[in-house]
Amino acid sequence: MSVKSDKSILIVDDMETNRALLAMGFTDLYNILEAENGKQAMEIINAHSDIGAVLLDLVMPVMNGIEMLKELNNTGKINHLPVFIITSENSEDTLSQAYSLGAVDVIYKPFNLNFIKSRITNIIELYRHRNELAEVVNEQVEKLSKINQSMIETLAALIEFRDCESGEHVKRICGLTRILLTSISENYPEYYLDKVEIEKIVNASILHDVGKISIPDSILNKPGRLTKEEFEIMKQHTVKGGEILEHIPNVMDKDSYNYCYDICRHHHERWDGRGYPDGLKGDEISIAAQIVALADVYDALTSPRCYKAPFDHQTALNMIYNGECGTFNPKVLDTLRRNEENVKYEHETSAE
Amino acid sequence: MLDELKALGVNTDEGIKRFMGNAALYEKMMRKLPENIKAQNTMQHFADGDYEAALAATHTIKGVTGNLSVTPLFDAYSEAVSQLRNNQPDQARQTIENILPLEQKILDCIING
Repeated sequence: MSVKSDKSILIVDDMETNRALLAMGFTDLYNILEAENGKQAMEIINAHSDIGAVLLDLVMPVMNGIEMLKELNNTGKINHLPVFIITSENSEDTLSQAYSLGAVDVIYKPFNLNFIKSRITNIIELYRHRNELAEVVNEQVEKLSKINQSMIETLAALIEFRDCESGEHVKRICGLTRILLTSISENYPEYYLDKVEIEKIVNASILHDVGKISIPDSILNKPGRLTKEEFEIMKQHTVKGGEILEHIPNVMDKDSYNYCYDICRHHHERWDGRGYPDGLKGDEISIAAQIVALADVYDALTSPRCYKAPFDHQTALNMIYNGECGTFNPKVLDTLRRNEENVKYEHETSAE
Repeated sequence: MLDELKALGVNTDEGIKRFMGNAALYEKMMRKLPENIKAQNTMQHFADGDYEAALAATHTIKGVTGNLSVTPLFDAYSEAVSQLRNNQPDQARQTIENILPLEQKILDCIING
């Protein structure tokens, strides 16, 4: 006989004789817990995390087996806990109801302990294995998402390092993007934004300027106006950003990659088609890229640069509304108007 | 006691085998049978016309007598369960009444044994 397991078996039957018989069969393999009805059993299940299987009688006072199965379904516990129906029941209706409520097997009374022992033990080990695997997978997913995140942050840090912009720029872009997208999702259902999408876009916005890695220092950090030729090179950071991401498509999940790529390439497009690099117009530009574009402009205006002092909040807003930084989607501008106070607060708190 | 029960049709060999050879536990559980059966109040449920309760009671007794291999009672209560399921409460009651004399002998044997 194998070594005693660290798992418990919960025997639920109102008759002591039936419980004693089952208990005797399993006591050398598992810890035994007993309940006289479904209610007691649920209390035991809620208080113990080591239960490997439930052996459940159907006809019981207080809470019967079917009611208990329903309860296990409502709490979702049925997914991790094998329940065996132990019964002298042979009504098809009841048994098919038990199966449809997630019972793994039915054992008829009177039973032969030696047979049911192997059946039950096998299932317990199967569930244990499955539950452990599910845990391992969850851990891996969490690890991957952390790697995902730190990869994005590492790339962003590289740009910060080379750029004359402050290290806080990226954080402010994230904050502004989140405020504006949340408001868009509340007012413009046509953009189909939910919380999960918004967080993915916010994360992707971190990388909007990754293409600047490829721009020479002499242009990137030039303390004055760029010549026409220099500006043409500078504009290439959008295309280069996309190219850099194309080299590393597998370091993040597909949605994140698509958002990153789109934002890198299109955060300088403008609503009237006069942006770059592709001259996209109107809603050809994704809402993600439109919002990051606005956040980028606002932050550029309100931040000091090698070649200029920062504009104050209200001046920056006026310049945007007047179209001095290119044309934006009217819905996006309305969203900015609706959130002026939040935007100002975000700007002021992150500048500290 | 076990020999007398055997003479009354109880399959004690099979029962002890079901208890994995643990005759002491089998006997201990057998001693609880009279109380188990009495607690079900089966005939009272029939008298009250509460056939749902009667079904639960006969069903429970069927389970216990099956596990203990009290074969004559197991057979009778199994029959009664089917009859109740088929909406034949009068037949079910008759089935149980027919077995009551033997049931009493078996229970007496356990109580006095």
